[in-house]
Amino acid sequence: MVFNKMNSHVFTWVVQRITALFLIPLTFWFIYQCICFQNLEYLELKIFFKSFINSFLFLLMMIAMLVHAKIGCETIVQDYISTNYIKIFFKRFINFIIFSSLFLLIVTIINLNIAQ
Amino acid sequence: MIDNRPLSPHLSIHKKLLTSIFSILHRITGIGLSISSILIVIWISLLSFGPNYFFVFQMISETFIFKLILFFWSLGIFYHLFNGIRYLYWSYGLGMNLKSVYISSYIVVFLTIISTFILWFLIR
Repeated sequence: MVFNKMNSHVFTWVVQRITALFLIPLTFWFIYQCICFQNLEYLELKIFFKSFINSFLFLLMMIAMLVHAKIGCETIVQDYISTNYIKIFFKRFINFIIFSSLFLLIVTIINLNIAQ
Repeated sequence: MIDNRPLSPHLSIHKKLLTSIFSILHRITGIGLSISSILIVIWISLLSFGPNYFFVFQMISETFIFKLILFFWSLGIFYHLFNGIRYLYWSYGLGMNLKSVYISSYIVVFLTIISTFILWFLIR
């Protein structure tokens, strides 16, 4: 495996670029959907997310976005905070928020697709 | 992760160049968009919780403050997107001479403003 030969910083750098590549078309797709959402009511929005392709693209975009955000925020913390315990605190805080959001997102998408 | 990377230089002691301003703006918009990604998760969760919860979001979305935040979000997302595309081709070592960097900076600003304008024209 190529990834086995990479150190963690190179791996993070590659993941940041891969998620960015995913986010380019998906962000345009989401912005287009946001324009359409403005006239939709609650039930119409639920129907939109019941579609497999819409849910899949939204989930893919959000996972890429959250992973991209996690790496980006951790890099900023790494670059600008010198005190070690504050740095660790912020990194753990970012991890907690991102993983909680990912969990909530996946449960929500499953719930929207299963619930009547 | 090994935490022995050198710290970024203090922002205040350097002359502000266009390139550094774009880099700082990329990070600021990145933080803003990270927060907004959490808000998108909360938004879809409210949709899943039921109409009463979603009604709370709809009430908030009609306020002026929300629309102002949405405007800056759109500005931030387009800036981060177009500047991010520039970073991606820099990753391949392309367009890194000073003239190209400055030209692409102006293209990023132009595309950000025009895209935000088109978006708000469509959702007015």
